[in-house]
Amino acid sequence: MSPPRSISPTLVLSAGKTACRACGHELAPVEASWKDVAVLDERPLGEGGGPMFRTDGGVLLRRFYCPSCGTTLDTETALPGEPFLVDRVDWS
Amino acid sequence: MDPMTFSIIRHRLFRIIDEAVITLKHVSGSAITNEGHDLMVSLYRADGSLLMGGVGFLHHLTSAAEACKSIIRRFEGRIREGDVFLLNDPYTAALHTSDIYLVAPIHFEGELIAWSACFVHVYDIGAMNPGGFSPQSADIFTEGFSSPGIRIVDQGEMVQDVVDTLLNMVRSPEMVMLDLRSMIACNNVARERMQALAAKYGAKTVDAAGSELIAQSETLLRARLKELPDGSWQSRQYLDVNGETATVRLTMTKSGDRLVFDFTGSSEQSRHAINCTKWASLGGLFAPLFPLLCYDITWNEGVIRPVEMVAPEGAIVNCTRPAPVSVATVAAIQSVNNAACATIGKMLAASDRYREQATSVWHANHFAIFKFGRNQKGGQSIGIFTETFAGAGGARSFADGVDIGGEIPNPISRMANVETVEANFPIRYLFRRRMKDSGGPGLWRGGSGGELAVVPHKAPDGGIHYVISGKGDRHPMSDGLAGGFPGAPNKYAWAKARNGGDVEAADTADGDAVSWGVFPLMGKDALYVRWNGGGGYGDPLDRDPERVAADVAGDLVSVEAARDIYGVILGPDGELDVPATQDLRAISRAARLERVVQ
Repeated sequence: MSPPRSISPTLVLSAGKTACRACGHELAPVEASWKDVAVLDERPLGEGGGPMFRTDGGVLLRRFYCPSCGTTLDTETALPGEPFLVDRVDWS
Repeated sequence: MDPMTFSIIRHRLFRIIDEAVITLKHVSGSAITNEGHDLMVSLYRADGSLLMGGVGFLHHLTSAAEACKSIIRRFEGRIREGDVFLLNDPYTAALHTSDIYLVAPIHFEGELIAWSACFVHVYDIGAMNPGGFSPQSADIFTEGFSSPGIRIVDQGEMVQDVVDTLLNMVRSPEMVMLDLRSMIACNNVARERMQALAAKYGAKTVDAAGSELIAQSETLLRARLKELPDGSWQSRQYLDVNGETATVRLTMTKSGDRLVFDFTGSSEQSRHAINCTKWASLGGLFAPLFPLLCYDITWNEGVIRPVEMVAPEGAIVNCTRPAPVSVATVAAIQSVNNAACATIGKMLAASDRYREQATSVWHANHFAIFKFGRNQKGGQSIGIFTETFAGAGGARSFADGVDIGGEIPNPISRMANVETVEANFPIRYLFRRRMKDSGGPGLWRGGSGGELAVVPHKAPDGGIHYVISGKGDRHPMSDGLAGGFPGAPNKYAWAKARNGGDVEAADTADGDAVSWGVFPLMGKDALYVRWNGGGGYGDPLDRDPERVAADVAGDLVSVEAARDIYGVILGPDGELDVPATQDLRAISRAARLERVVQ
């Protein structure tokens, strides 16, 4: 059996779906946004990162967790209302 | 061409650049050149295309190619042996006016065979603010002397009237002249060594080797791209200036053996000098591309061919004249660089084969602070805090980022000794050290940034002033990768002495915020600066607890961050409490799953 195709260090392609590399949980069809079905932990950066990260910039730290095992799948910083960053690997 | 000759010529080209850089530094008397290594030397073919990219700030490699091509167009039929041309107009090819290009044709037996080009950030360029970064400028017209191309050496003879005109428009003309002489000397060495190479192997052979080298680089990069997965990756960078936030947005698409960097959606050009021109953006995206994708490929025109850039006109990454750009190298260009580093890092990390080449974003936020005023010897000094080049490494898939570890776009960047600064400016350092909790948390921690505080010392005028182009204190810019956190943002504070007493070192970080413009550092006041850490890699809860304990012992991570971010509990003497750590991490993971699924 060949190893799963990699999407990122935390995600793999599994039967046409984006899956958690750590536990194999299938998140979403590969053409869909897996971030929409991950657990989103969005909070002010200073709250998530500690005192060194406290600013008046209103920036948020987004952490996306696997809903099955809780592994952090990705992070991004964003101002409120920003769409998620979209990263896509085309294995077709 | 036989492979031995090819290899000899290839290595000789490397060495020519090395020797030219050494010459540049030996002649220069400027701290930003010698201490900060804010310089670049490269070789170009007769048509101006990049032949051999050198070290220094890599975002100049492609811009200097355009400078050569622009000079070729402007002076067609009038380019002679021994000429040296100056170009520093950002709307022609340069990054900002204070980064002056001197480009020189290299002739052999009467034929133009190549060009050498170099830059330094000159001591001053006559902008409204001293030092070149001019945050108070509202347009290019107030950013100092700017030339789309002018001859300053004519067949070996200095064109003194032209040089005198330039020197008449700058502060500290003697230092600017030294900058020019260092670059002329650098180009002279490059020319003489290239001529010696042509004399030994023949100009046609040298040119054929260059052509083959370019073809080789193109072939190798295209092959590497084919080995990487197709896809697209996004990044965004926030740039804050005086409370305003601009955004650089990037979608990088890799298809087969081609890469497209698309900045559509980035903010419109700013009224502040944080914009950059298209040539600068192109250089900005190549700065991380060279070392991350071409670490074993010669940097030349062949690397450029598979890459395309889309940068909408009028955007912050492709501004139109007369938008101000003097802060570009530490603003939009650096954000382009960061965004490209982030997307290239994601692409590499998506590949099982290339994951170890991936990196989180390194030192993403320069702080350009130029001190100026009368020094303790009675002369006038202008100079940057070279700590801005000290940087911090991004974490990788197998290692922490290097503390105070430099930056991606300049592999040889560094900072001056404290004593060197104190010898040339009437200031005294209260401290300069690594900054606790600044490295982005992760399985692998981002490299720590640093902090410093200075006060006036033996200043004949009671102190000095400084120009600060300090963005990045509202938004982190060193992005993490694969679940890693970003590095902590910058901070700039003016700690004011109260009731005639000294400012306590420990209180300097609590001073009033300063970020943009000209400010005094007088009396017993202090200036505090904190610079960002590198981005982290992976989930902080997966970090080896022993490493966290070592970070706490090394004063790089606080006990609170160890507990709250890494889920690591330490005993009163700093020893690792394994059961408590296991319990806390289990609780933290469970808490994640209790959050509402969207």
